[in-house]
Amino acid sequence: MEKLLLLGLLLTSSFLHAEPHEMGNMLSHEGHLHEAMVDGKELVVDPKRFDLFVEGLKNNQIALVSVQGMVCDFCARGIAKTFGKDKSVTKVDVDLASGKVLLAYPAAFEISLEDIEKKILNNGLNTTDIQIMSN
Amino acid sequence: MASLFLSVILHQKGLTEKLNPIPYGGMRALIIILCALLSSASFSRPISYVGGHTLMANSNSLTDNIYWHYTPNINYSVGLDYQKDKVSNEYFPSARFTYLINRKNAAQSQRNLYLKTGVGLNNSNNHFYSLAGDWETRRLFTSFSIKQSSGVGYDMFEQSVKVGVAPYLGAYGDFHTWLMVETKKNDLDNERITYPVLRFFKGGAAFEISYHKKTDWDIHLMYRF
Repeated sequence: MEKLLLLGLLLTSSFLHAEPHEMGNMLSHEGHLHEAMVDGKELVVDPKRFDLFVEGLKNNQIALVSVQGMVCDFCARGIAKTFGKDKSVTKVDVDLASGKVLLAYPAAFEISLEDIEKKILNNGLNTTDIQIMSN
Repeated sequence: MASLFLSVILHQKGLTEKLNPIPYGGMRALIIILCALLSSASFSRPISYVGGHTLMANSNSLTDNIYWHYTPNINYSVGLDYQKDKVSNEYFPSARFTYLINRKNAAQSQRNLYLKTGVGLNNSNNHFYSLAGDWETRRLFTSFSIKQSSGVGYDMFEQSVKVGVAPYLGAYGDFHTWLMVETKKNDLDNERITYPVLRFFKGGAAFEISYHKKTDWDIHLMYRF
């Protein structure tokens, strides 16, 4: 009985704790760049991080991927390794704090959103949004 | 790691005498097999990214252990465990399978529920199955595990809980630190033990160390590639 109670308590507390985070709004992060895209979506990214990422990149497309569940360095490392093996990706940046992944592709490359989502999923994480920009 | 503490405790609490139907040699082998089947269970996530390998090594006063697992699919991983008993110099290999029952990713957290099982390669009568779960943010960590182990002449049920906090939030690639406390209890000695755990991450490598006054130091290394 004690064992069952302990298990029940743990499972319940885990579910209760997870819920508020699922409703959290990533747009509320301070110090991030908020810009309206042509499709009406808001672009949310750390401006310093973004500037650093695009430094030296010319004629590239940038995919800004919002990821759920990226809470540890190992999760982030898996994503960096997965996209690092993709020869069409010229640069990768993973931001644990905001749950964002920046990917650079050559301007002429046709980016597959499904492929990005699949790679994120193969790391056990979920994609909530992908925004494509060009520089 | 949990099992290794258990191993030491079993020895120090004189359980070889309590379970006298089994001769000392048999009890010794039993405990080691138990260790082999249960060790490394709580150190890190038992499923990596697809195509990812994880290598773990553990050492304490009684055993040295190496555990490798591979993740062919995001829903499961397969692994091999190889343990050396420092006293008898015997080796105990086992095969393991871990299945991800459920995962919930949220913006700032991840929750997992796993089913784990393992079987001794020298003697398939030695096996275990376990239900384990964790919930983690960048700041907080909680996990639980319940395990049923069986073999020739024994059955054991064990439950454990671990909680941790990151004293600072490191960025990707930084040196990460976790301060943790683990508590566990099994139905053989029916005594709960609680002890501190320190966990460090850097890149693909992790290091974990724990201490209990009865069991002395326990050290884990892990590398994910």
